[in-house]
Amino acid sequence: MRAIYFKVLMVLLGVIFLPSLAVGEDKITADDIIDRASLANYYAGDDGTAKIAMKITDRAGRVRTRELTMLRLDIEDGGEQRFYVYFREPSDLTGMVFMVAKKVGADDDRWLYVPAVDMVKRVAAKDKRSSFVGSHFTYEDVSGRDTSDDVHELVGIETVNDRAAYQIKNTPKDVASVEFSYYTAYIDKDNFLALKAEYYDKAGRLYRTVTAEEVSVIDGVPTVTKGRVSEVDGGETTVEFTDVRYDVGLSESIFTERYLRRPPRKWLK
Amino acid sequence: MKKLIGAPIRFSINYPKTIIAVYVILTLIFISFIPSVKVDTDPENMLSKDEPVRLAHSEAKRDFALYDSIVVGVVDDESTEGVFLPETLLRIARVTEGILKIEGVIASDVFSLITTDDISSDGVLLTIEPLMETELLSNADALRVRDRALDNPILRDMLVSADGKAVLISVPIKEKSESYRISLEIEEIIRTHGGSEDYHLAGLPIAEDTFGVEMFKQMGVSAPLAGLIIMLIMFYFFRSAPLVIASMAVSIMTVAWSMGFLIGAGYTVHIMSSMIPIFLMPVAVLDSIHILSSFHERFPVSKDRREALEGTIDELLSPMIFTSITSAVGFAALMLTPIPPVRVFGGFVAFGIIVAWFMTMTFLPAVIMLLPVSTLKSFGAKVTEGRHTLQLRIGAFATKRAKWILALAAVVLIVSIYGITRTNVNDNPVKWFESSHPIRVADKVLNEHFGGTYMAYLILGGSEEGTMKRPEVLGYIESLQGHMDSLESVGKTTSVVDVIEKIGYELYDGDESKARVPEDSKTVAQYLFLYEMSGDPDDLYHLIDPTLSKVNIWVQLKSGDNEDMKAVELSVRDYMAANPLPMGIEANWAGLTYLNVVWQDKMVGGMLKSLGSGAVVVFLMMAFLFRSPLWGLISMLPLTLTIAFIYGLIGFSGQDYNMPIAILSSLTLGISVDFAIHFAQRMRQVRRKAEGADDWSKSVSVIYGEPVSAILRNMLVISVAFLPLFLSSLMPYKTVGFFFAAIMTVSGATTLVLLPSVMTLFKRQLKL
Repeated sequence: MRAIYFKVLMVLLGVIFLPSLAVGEDKITADDIIDRASLANYYAGDDGTAKIAMKITDRAGRVRTRELTMLRLDIEDGGEQRFYVYFREPSDLTGMVFMVAKKVGADDDRWLYVPAVDMVKRVAAKDKRSSFVGSHFTYEDVSGRDTSDDVHELVGIETVNDRAAYQIKNTPKDVASVEFSYYTAYIDKDNFLALKAEYYDKAGRLYRTVTAEEVSVIDGVPTVTKGRVSEVDGGETTVEFTDVRYDVGLSESIFTERYLRRPPRKWLK
Repeated sequence: MKKLIGAPIRFSINYPKTIIAVYVILTLIFISFIPSVKVDTDPENMLSKDEPVRLAHSEAKRDFALYDSIVVGVVDDESTEGVFLPETLLRIARVTEGILKIEGVIASDVFSLITTDDISSDGVLLTIEPLMETELLSNADALRVRDRALDNPILRDMLVSADGKAVLISVPIKEKSESYRISLEIEEIIRTHGGSEDYHLAGLPIAEDTFGVEMFKQMGVSAPLAGLIIMLIMFYFFRSAPLVIASMAVSIMTVAWSMGFLIGAGYTVHIMSSMIPIFLMPVAVLDSIHILSSFHERFPVSKDRREALEGTIDELLSPMIFTSITSAVGFAALMLTPIPPVRVFGGFVAFGIIVAWFMTMTFLPAVIMLLPVSTLKSFGAKVTEGRHTLQLRIGAFATKRAKWILALAAVVLIVSIYGITRTNVNDNPVKWFESSHPIRVADKVLNEHFGGTYMAYLILGGSEEGTMKRPEVLGYIESLQGHMDSLESVGKTTSVVDVIEKIGYELYDGDESKARVPEDSKTVAQYLFLYEMSGDPDDLYHLIDPTLSKVNIWVQLKSGDNEDMKAVELSVRDYMAANPLPMGIEANWAGLTYLNVVWQDKMVGGMLKSLGSGAVVVFLMMAFLFRSPLWGLISMLPLTLTIAFIYGLIGFSGQDYNMPIAILSSLTLGISVDFAIHFAQRMRQVRRKAEGADDWSKSVSVIYGEPVSAILRNMLVISVAFLPLFLSSLMPYKTVGFFFAAIMTVSGATTLVLLPSVMTLFKRQLKL
C-alpha cells in the first residue's frame, strides 16, 4: 500500500514539476519533443508485458477479434528492442508467435512461428508500413517510427482530449518509402504521449487517424490503454491493453528461436 | 367520338391566336424542367434496383470490397523486354503515383507494380516487399520484377502479362459516373510522364461513362440535324415556308414536352431515353404531312381555306386518331418489358405521339387560319396531266399480279422466319464504339496480352463461419477453377486457393509439391493469416470474406460479349450438376459482365412479350376501326412481313440481336401500321363513295393519287430523318439509322404492293 501511495505521489510531483524542470518550455524544439515522445510511448520501463485485445472492423462493417500477449524488452533506451507477440485467439491461430528485433537505422529482424506446420520462418519485411497482424495498425504504429526518418516541425499548441498538446508536422526524408506525404502528431505537453496522429496522402488529403482513447497511469508510467486507428474511407481497429506491467524482469533469452516453439508460459498467463 | 375531338379543332379554327398562345406557354413550362436533367449511363440500371442479381452483385461488392475499376494497360511491343526496362518501369511508376493522387480514386486499393507486395522465399528467409521499388535499377532489377510477378499465380496474367511485355494498373474508383473525368486526368498524367510505351485505358465503367458523354454530343448533333433535313424535305414537298415551319414547330414542341415531362417527372436520361428526341422528331411530322398533302390538293380547288381545312380534317380525322393510337400502343407495349429504361422510353414516346397528334390537329389549323392570304396564294398542287404516273403504275401492277405478289410474300415470310431462327442474341457495351475508337483498341490490345479485362465473380458461400477453410471445399474450388480455365473465353481464374498454394510453395522454399491445399483447416487458417500479414490485408479479403464463409472466384474473360459470359455460366452449371457442390454451399454469379447477361435475357423475353401484346392490341383496334376482322387482319400484313423480314435479315447477316435492334421491333410495329391504316381507311372511303358503281381498278387509281403521295412522303421523311445517325461514332445509333431506312423501304413496299394485291384477291369478302 505504502509503495503505491509513494508512486502516485511521485507521479503527481512529476506531472507538476517535470515540464518546468525540463527544457525551458519556449526553447523546446520539435526534435526534442519527438525524441521524448518516442521514449514515453515505446520505451517505458526497461521491459513490459500486456494483453492486447484487438477489434478489427473492415469497410463493410464486419468485425474480427484477436487476442495477443506482447512482451517487450528494451536493449537500449531509444535504441534496439525485442518484441514477442503470442496469439491466443482466434483458436485457429493459437500458438502462433511473431517476434521482432527492432533496430534503429536498419531493417528489423522478424520471425514467425507457424504451429500447424511446426515451422519457424525468418521474415524479411522491408515495408514497415505494412499491416500489423492484419489490423489497420502498421508495424511502425506498434513499435515506433524511427525518429530520424522524418523532418519535424513544431506547428503550435493544440488542445486534444482536453489536454494541451504540441502539434508537430513530420515530413519523411524519403518520400518514396512511405504511403503518406506527411503526418501531424499531437504530443501531450505534460507526459509526451502521442494523443493523436493524422496521416495525409500524396495528394494532401487526410486518410488515416490514430488516436489514444484512454490513458492510465500504470506503475507510475502514463500508458495508453486504449487506442484506435480509423481510415477515412471506412474501417478501423481498436486496441485495448490489459494486465499492463512494467519492469517485470524479462530476459533476453526469451527472444530466441527456441522460445518460438516453446512459449515462455510464465509470461503468457 | 368525332364530335368530341371535333370541338377543339373547331375551337382552334375559330380562335387561332388563343390556341397558339396556350401552346407557347405550355411549351415554355415543359422546357423549364429540362435544365435539371440527370444523366444515367449505368447499364446496371437496365435492371430494377430490387432485381435479385443486382442485390447479389451489390452484396458481392460489399462482401469482397470490390470496386468498379478503370484499367490502364501499358504495353511495349517494340523491345524484347516489353515494358521491363528500368526507364520504362520508372515512367510507369511516376504515372501510377500521379493516379494515386486523383480525387475519386481509391488510392489504397490501386493494384500496380509499386503498390503490390510480393512474397518470396530464398532458403530460410521469407521476403515480403513491394514488387517494385520506386527507384530502380539495373536491367536485371527490371527483369526480376517481371519474373517475380510471373512466378506469383495471383499476379501473373493479372498485373503482368504472361508474355512479359505488358503491365496493368487497376484503378478502383468511388463512383462509376466519374470514370470519364478520371480517365481524362489519367490521360493528362500519361502525357506528362509517359514515354514511347503505349498506354491503353479500358474497362466497362469507362466504356459506359464515355458512352454517356458521347451520347450527349450525339443528341446535340443528330436531333437538330434530323430536324433540318425534315424541314428541307417538307419544303421541297410543299414549297411553303410558314406551313413547313409550323409543322416543324409541332415536332419541336412535341420533343420539348416529352423530354420536359420526362425530366420533370424525375426520370434520368438513360441511353434509351436519349433516343427519344430523334425518334419523336420525324414521327411527330407524320400527321402534319397528311394534313398538308390533303390541304395541298383541296385548297387550289376550293380557294377557301376554311372549307379546304374542314374537308381535310373530315377526311383524315379517324385514320389519324387510329394511326396515332396504334403507334402509341406499339411503343407503350414496351412498358411491359422488365427493363426500366426501356419502359420509360416506350412510355414517353407514346406520350409524345399522342401530343403530336393533338397538336397537329389544333396547332396546324390555327396557323393556317392566321396566315396572310398572300402567302397561301401560290400554295397547292398544280393540276397537271401525268402526275402520280409512277405510283399509279405500281397500283395497276399490284392489282394485276396479285397472286404472284402474294406467293412472293409467302416465300419471303418463310425465308425470313428461317433467318430469325438463326438470330444470335448478344451485346457488349464496348462494341457500342466504332472499332477505331480508343476504347475498342484498348480492349483488343489488352485482351491479347492479358487473361482478360472483363471480370465476373463466382461466389461460393455457406451460412456458417469458417466453412471455406474446409479442405474439401477448397479442393472443389480448385477443380472448378480447372474446369473454367479450360474454357475458351476464360483467360484466367483466381481464388483463395491460389493464395493458399502460393503460401505453401513459399513456406517450403519453392517446393512445388507443397503448392497445394493443406489437409486440415487449421493449417489453412494459418496460411491465410500468413498472407494477411504479408502485405495489405485487404488483398486477401477480395477473395475470401473475413469470417471465411464465402469465397470469391475471379473469372477473367477475354471478351465482354454476353454470349461468351453466358456460355461460361452454362458450362459451370453443367459442371455443378455433374459434380455437386459440397454440402451447405451455394454458388452465385456477380460482376458487371454477368449483369449484362441477365438484363439481356430479360430484354429478349420482354421484347417478345411486348411485341406480341402490342400486335394483338393493334389488331383489335383495327378490327374495331374497320368493323371487320378481315380488314384488321389484312392491315396487319405489312407490319408482320416487315418485322419478319428485318429480323430475318438480322439473323442472316450475323448482326447480333442487341438492345437497339430489340427496340426497333416496336418502332416497326408503330409506324408500319400507320401506312396500312391510311391505305385501308382511304380505300374504304373511296369504295364507299363509289358505292360499288366504279370498278375496282378505278378505286385503286384514286388511292394511288394523293393518299399514296402522302404515304410516300412520310416514308421518305422517316428514312431520311434517321440518316444523321450514320454520322454518329456510336454503334447503337448507326444500327438504328441503318435499319430504320431498311424498315421504311420494306414497310412501304409491302403497304403499296402487297396490301392492294391482297385486297384485290379478297375484294368480295371485304365488307365496307
